Amino acid sequence: MSDVTYVPTQEDFKLKNNSEELGLDSNYASQNFWKEVLIRFFHKKSAVVGLILILLIILFAAIGPGMNDYTYEGMIQEEKNLAPRVSWLEGLGIFDGSETVSTSVGDVQVNKYEEGGLTDVYYWFGSDIYGRDLWTRCWEGTRVSLIIAIAAALIDMIIGMSYGLISGFFGGKVDMVMQRILEICNGIPRLVIVTLLLLILKPGMLTIIFALLLTEWVGMSRIARAEMLKLKEQEFVLASRTLGAGSFFIIFKEVLPNIVGPVITQVMFSIPTAIFTEAFLSFVGLGIPVPRCSLGSLISDGYNSFTTHPYQIIPPIIIMALLMLSFNLLGDGLREAFDPKMKEM
Amino acid sequence: MKKYILKRVLTSIGTLLAIILILFILMRLMPGSPFNDEKLTDDQRVALYEKYGLDDPIVIQFGRYVVNMCKGDLGVSYKISKNTPISQLIESRLPISIGIGFYAVFRGAIIGLILGVIAALKRDTILDTICTIISVIGVSVPSYVFALGLSYTMGYKWKWFPMLYDSADAFNSSIMPSIALSMFTMASIARFTRTEMIEVLGSEYMLLAESKGLSGRKLLFSHALRNALIPIITVLAPLIVDLMTGSLVVEKIFAIPGVGSLLVNAIQSNDYNVVIALSFIYSALYIAIMLVVDILYGIIDPRIRLGKEGE
Repeated sequence: MSDVTYVPTQEDFKLKNNSEELGLDSNYASQNFWKEVLIRFFHKKSAVVGLILILLIILFAAIGPGMNDYTYEGMIQEEKNLAPRVSWLEGLGIFDGSETVSTSVGDVQVNKYEEGGLTDVYYWFGSDIYGRDLWTRCWEGTRVSLIIAIAAALIDMIIGMSYGLISGFFGGKVDMVMQRILEICNGIPRLVIVTLLLLILKPGMLTIIFALLLTEWVGMSRIARAEMLKLKEQEFVLASRTLGAGSFFIIFKEVLPNIVGPVITQVMFSIPTAIFTEAFLSFVGLGIPVPRCSLGSLISDGYNSFTTHPYQIIPPIIIMALLMLSFNLLGDGLREAFDPKMKEM
Repeated sequence: MKKYILKRVLTSIGTLLAIILILFILMRLMPGSPFNDEKLTDDQRVALYEKYGLDDPIVIQFGRYVVNMCKGDLGVSYKISKNTPISQLIESRLPISIGIGFYAVFRGAIIGLILGVIAALKRDTILDTICTIISVIGVSVPSYVFALGLSYTMGYKWKWFPMLYDSADAFNSSIMPSIALSMFTMASIARFTRTEMIEVLGSEYMLLAESKGLSGRKLLFSHALRNALIPIITVLAPLIVDLMTGSLVVEKIFAIPGVGSLLVNAIQSNDYNVVIALSFIYSALYIAIMLVVDILYGIIDPRIRLGKEGE
């Protein structure tokens, strides 16, 4: 023991004003959470493929309808049911506007462009039974489907997340009541809610988004509640409370940033569900009213003539399948990237 | 356990009542009741209201509605087939739909299990990749796309199976629809089984069982698969919901005279009574299935019911 005693001076009690440094842990090199997530995400090839596909489809949904002179509602009587024709693929013998038509004398190769004298007309995806350009309609439909799905998923996220977080945080009676309400909501089949709602409201984009809202928030709120139950016992919540933070501050400022991962993942999974539900509604006749279109209504239109002109149904089906596939792949990738410990599903 | 079952049954009844209430309100909101469609004098209308009890207090009317619904008296169809009781319309259709749905779940579950087990046992090999690709596609491609694909290839091009449902050849004509419907079930169960199996195979009790010298087959079936199966029951309930939605469109594509196509027809021809009656039936079926699944799960896994009781 040294005999030197330290005499505190006035300087020692001065406020250091080091609030910026306080957040930093100088003992360990800081590992940026988002950087790690990105590294893990890009390590998974399927997720990257999904992301690229989604970006491509969004790009085409944005610029596709403007790439030729046709509009999604413009009908040209003389140019009905034309098979796909692309100028720079014509020479190869594919997409040259010919299609096989079954007649009473067997299958015949027909080229309606040549028959109708439409030598310099090109429909990249063909035209439908009203003479509308399928390329424009497909991407217009993709745009509508994407807007519906993303809007529904985002609003769901807000509602479901708040519901789950509040229910989980307060616990006790509040949780009891909120969970019973949720169980009842969950007990009604999605199909029934959506159908009934669309019967009383006018079909349209907003109605479909609203119908999707009523059904999809349950899953999100479950996840938010489970995460909240896990986190609310942890020290940082206690610390925040000790410092006098209010309940809503803790819920939205302390806990919420910590559950961003699972929430984003869930959004990615609810987008394909929304796309599918929209397509299903269109198929049943409760979708977007004509002349507007969505992927679902395009498939439903194509279905009516899919044995005679299969090319009309193929593009929307492929776009939809690719979209759903890529959102699923992206969701899988994100889930693993955010939580590598969690078991993969 | 009794307490848990009682609680689940009560919640189910509550849900069913909530649905009937919604349907009841909707009934009143729907435009065009049969009483203002036709040319009636005021006296006649009053007489009709009295006859059908429409002048009773709303609570009594609701009570009567609940009793009627539960007795199977679902009202009368106005448009699809004039003045036929809906229960009569449904009677012949329900077995067909349930039959196809059952085939789909059964086939999907079996194939999914096999795929999942193969993928887990041959982890990180080409077989695993193939199983994963199959299941990802199955999850992300909607059932009616499969239905259209099957109908075009196997039905229209190759003529293996009838393209449209033929009640004289019910077996062959239900093959394509049930394959289309089973894809999603198959894919989800395959993914889930794979995850569970990998976890179980890596557990310590498997190591113990193996070091006891158990043979491979016994190890797989009585130790690994049995434990992996438990959580799979939980995914069955949401799957059945997807099946219901899928069945509507698939039934329409194959022109199956089932409940789904009836609902689609009713929606398209604005036959509200039929839509509401079918919504009730779908909800009741769904609630019943959820109840059974939850109780089963509670029996198999005590943690669930204990956890819920502790709430």
